[in-house]
Amino acid sequence: MTLREALLRGRRRPRRFGAGSPTSYRGDGYEFVELRAYVPGDDVRRIDWAATARAGDLQTRVVLEDVALTLAAVLDDSPSMRVGRARALIDAAREACETWFAAASAGDRCLRVAPDHASPPYAPVTAAFDLRRSLQTARAALPRGCALLVASDWFALHDDDDALLVSLARAFDCTALVARDPWYDGLPLQGIVRLRGADGGSLRAYIGRRERAAFAAAVRERDAKTHAMLQRCGWRTGTLREEDGTAALAGTFGLHAIEARRG
Amino acid sequence: MSFERPWLLALGILGAIVVTMLFQRAERARDAQSLEYSSLQFFAQAVRPRTWPVAALRLAFVAALACFAFALGGARLSLPMPVRDGTVFICIDTSGSMASTDVQPTRAQAAQEAARAFVAETVRGTRVGIIAFATSAEVVLAPSADRDAVRAALDALPSPNGATAIGDALQLAERGLPATGHRVVVLVTDGVNNAGVDPQQVAAELGALHVPIYTIGIGTPSGDIIGGTQATIDEAALQAYARVSGGAYAHVEDARALRDALARLGRVTSFARQPVDGTTGFLALGAVLVVVTLLAGLARGSVP
Repeated sequence: MTLREALLRGRRRPRRFGAGSPTSYRGDGYEFVELRAYVPGDDVRRIDWAATARAGDLQTRVVLEDVALTLAAVLDDSPSMRVGRARALIDAAREACETWFAAASAGDRCLRVAPDHASPPYAPVTAAFDLRRSLQTARAALPRGCALLVASDWFALHDDDDALLVSLARAFDCTALVARDPWYDGLPLQGIVRLRGADGGSLRAYIGRRERAAFAAAVRERDAKTHAMLQRCGWRTGTLREEDGTAALAGTFGLHAIEARRG
Repeated sequence: MSFERPWLLALGILGAIVVTMLFQRAERARDAQSLEYSSLQFFAQAVRPRTWPVAALRLAFVAALACFAFALGGARLSLPMPVRDGTVFICIDTSGSMASTDVQPTRAQAAQEAARAFVAETVRGTRVGIIAFATSAEVVLAPSADRDAVRAALDALPSPNGATAIGDALQLAERGLPATGHRVVVLVTDGVNNAGVDPQQVAAELGALHVPIYTIGIGTPSGDIIGGTQATIDEAALQAYARVSGGAYAHVEDARALRDALARLGRVTSFARQPVDGTTGFLALGAVLVVVTLLAGLARGSVP
């Protein structure tokens, strides 16, 4: 299954608004998804007689509707995403966004949302990243029903942002990739250490066992809290690891691998 | 503190400033290569890192530099040093008013006990003499380093009786003290001078000889009626004797306070401020601080 198919399937999930809008010129669609047991109400024209003969029970062919998708992405390129152990988190986030846009088919639309406007994916973005403003721009600029991906470390997320997140989830099919802290598995520091902040400043302090334990607990708590808040607001969430942005996106949709299909 | 070579001290301070600036420069260079984290604000909130070990190491480093600068400048300190060959005269009032019981059991017995505490606190080798005074003054014990002899002399103090000749007691002490060395007079009384020479004059003479008088006034404000007269203290006069001689005055109203005051005096009078060469001390302290700073820094993962 491709990412696009996964998005289209997402449309049919209960309580999800769904991604994309039906096109008027492509008909019902014939893209095969799966065979399943017939349930009363299924269109009898979709019964696969050969499969029925093999199985002994009525089997229905499930096909995708042909729709045009709007795929939008918010890419957090703030300084805090430029850190990582082996490589910067922003590289993985870019990878995820490229895969996201690569899932678009002919007739689909792709947009990158910046803090001040939405533009084609590879148009230059000059404004400094601001999560809240980017989400507000997305809400105002994107067509209803589009699929929105936000790849960020969500450091700028506050408890009072839930109204904004809920309004986005009601209007769009929202997916959040939450960048995993590079030191999620443990602080690689001990003793008197120097730290530089990605957004400026420096710190010199003593890091002992107590500090390491406190950091590990705080990082895990923040990660869990961010996922929980986004899910509560109706978002699909996944973890963005610095090693592989594409795999992170695939994991979010429950796919083993993403078969990128350029439109 | 004084310095034998002030120009070398200035040079040392200049050197310390240069070393500190070079250290700060190196630290900035190390900061540029340090680990980068997404959000220092989150880190600080989550970890509440301890910054005091860093500050302590820096402080120790700066203190070590200061010590070296002081050693270079030939620092001389005026420190209280124990005086092993000092001489102290305790002048104890044995006038009639000392029989008063407002200080339990009596002022005289409380003074005796307090004098014993004084002797116990003095540095070994200090010679202690006892003078008892009433209408006249007498040396009960010439200055002696023998503690047992001093205690025996205190036991042999005459019973309270007669007037108060403070001036005579001070004069006897002046005559009995050696010409040089660390010398102190301790005066314990509960009354007003009403016999003998003028104590103020003798106190001034002792002051001129650099012999401080520590005066202790005993008794409650209500006092006691002894022989038909109210036993009172002339505090202003006692303060004046202490002031003019470079000593101090204390007023006590009970036996415990008297004992504490004399015990404290025992320690005070056993020490004298003496100029001490601080070069070796500062050099050693600086070296110890450098070693401790380096070891602590290495143990904590960073040399300050």
